Amino acid sequence: MNLKAIRILFLKDLFLSRRFLFAYFLAGMAASAIACYPDATVSFIGFILILTVAIAAGIHFIGNLLLSETIDQTRLFIMSLPVSLLDYSIGKISVVLTTYLIPWSAMLACTVICTSLLPWAKQGSMVTLPAIFLFLFSSFMLQLVTAVITESVGWTICVMVGGNVGLNIFLMKLFAIPEIAEISKGDILRWPPVIHQIHGVELLVIAIALGLTVMVQTRKRDLT
Amino acid sequence: MNTVLATPTDNQLAASLSHVSKTYKHFKLQDLSFSLERGTVAGLIGPNGAGKSTTMRILMGLVHPNSGTVQVLGQPISSSQASAKQDIGYYSEDMRLYKPESILWHMQFVRSLYPSWDDAYARELLDRFGLIEQQAIKGLSHGQRVKAMLLLILARRPKFLILDEPTNGLDPVAKHEVLTELMRVVEDPDRTILYSSHNTADIEKICDSITFIDRGRLIASDNRDSFLEQWKRIKLHAPETWQTPSIRGLRLESTFHQLRILSLSHFRDEIPAELQSSGATIEAIDPMSLEEIFVSSVMRGREGEGS
Repeated sequence: MNLKAIRILFLKDLFLSRRFLFAYFLAGMAASAIACYPDATVSFIGFILILTVAIAAGIHFIGNLLLSETIDQTRLFIMSLPVSLLDYSIGKISVVLTTYLIPWSAMLACTVICTSLLPWAKQGSMVTLPAIFLFLFSSFMLQLVTAVITESVGWTICVMVGGNVGLNIFLMKLFAIPEIAEISKGDILRWPPVIHQIHGVELLVIAIALGLTVMVQTRKRDLT
Repeated sequence: MNTVLATPTDNQLAASLSHVSKTYKHFKLQDLSFSLERGTVAGLIGPNGAGKSTTMRILMGLVHPNSGTVQVLGQPISSSQASAKQDIGYYSEDMRLYKPESILWHMQFVRSLYPSWDDAYARELLDRFGLIEQQAIKGLSHGQRVKAMLLLILARRPKFLILDEPTNGLDPVAKHEVLTELMRVVEDPDRTILYSSHNTADIEKICDSITFIDRGRLIASDNRDSFLEQWKRIKLHAPETWQTPSIRGLRLESTFHQLRILSLSHFRDEIPAELQSSGATIEAIDPMSLEEIFVSSVMRGREGEGS
């Protein structure tokens, strides 16, 4: 493994996606700020915007950094340079995760900070935030593993659509849990055991998807 | 057929493939063996879909063969691909640069990966190729794009250049500029070029040795002068009942009444007499162009497959 090559590939991709990264970061911060507005309708719009930014950033970075290299035929150029498939794969997976996690963590942090600081915000509503953000991240990881295995825009979009449908079902089921519904409407933040179980499942999905992504990508023998 | 271009020692070889096979769904590269001596320019000629690009990608370590061994610059490419690529420059017509970025950005990016990058030479190439370093790739013509790509390859001073159809689609002036630069490169006796094309005129101009490939098989491999000396076109008159004599490498290409046109792959001084004694009257024995040799080799190879 050549750390210098990985760093150069990582920085190259980060540079190439700098404008979109900045745009998603700003959009995410704005969406989070809107979500914390005291008016329920505006706040709901903000929440929908958070989901939209997270979903759009995920599919955009996977498409732009991973799939487009094959479509635009720039991958052959990169692979003609002194980098191994392992270097390429580690650089690529790291940069896709980084670019996604920057707006993702900015939105999570902004929402948590706003909810904690703003006098009108219900502290209990924070109980669902990590679960929702982890669901978005696990959905992104499933898209990433699909993109790596299939190298197909079509299949990746199918998984994205599945993730969006799944998100609606997840939100419905999450707020249907009496304990969660009760805490999220109140002013006191508590973490019931059920939310830990949900986090556990989500983290497991993320870990499996990440493991699969690294395993599949590093086992590929033909580089083009 | 497995032909070895030369039999030098391993450290005199820039690359060697031994019994290499690669199977895809609709294509098979079959038992390919050949080697390239250091300091030579080798041409790989084949029709579209012959396996030229696959062979070159195998040499680069980009595609792994199902069987066989590949050595490049003294190292097995399968295990030392990344380090070997420090000394290999690879161009493919399927390769693209990042459209929004400039030539300068690409130069800086490639330089960061190559300690051997020669900035002065890169500037010289910019000038010779008439490229503007601030220009974005998306604004370049096909010829400029090819030249930009070659600049990025040549400025790192690779010992081994693998060029997959570099002059495809270039206008005559751009083609001349590219070929002239490649000829400058091979003035250094330590640098080797493997050059693929289906344009035999380019190959004839710059290559020392030539390998023909068709349908995933190597069909002939020799040095350029041997090809041109040994292959002849023979025009003769013979009675309609005349049968083509069994002479090694002799093939009937066409018949028009009593006129026969034959191609011969292994010319010897005794052959005209042998043909005369078979009842034919020789009208002319002409040299064949590389293109004619290539087409005849391919047809012979396909006939051999069918029989």
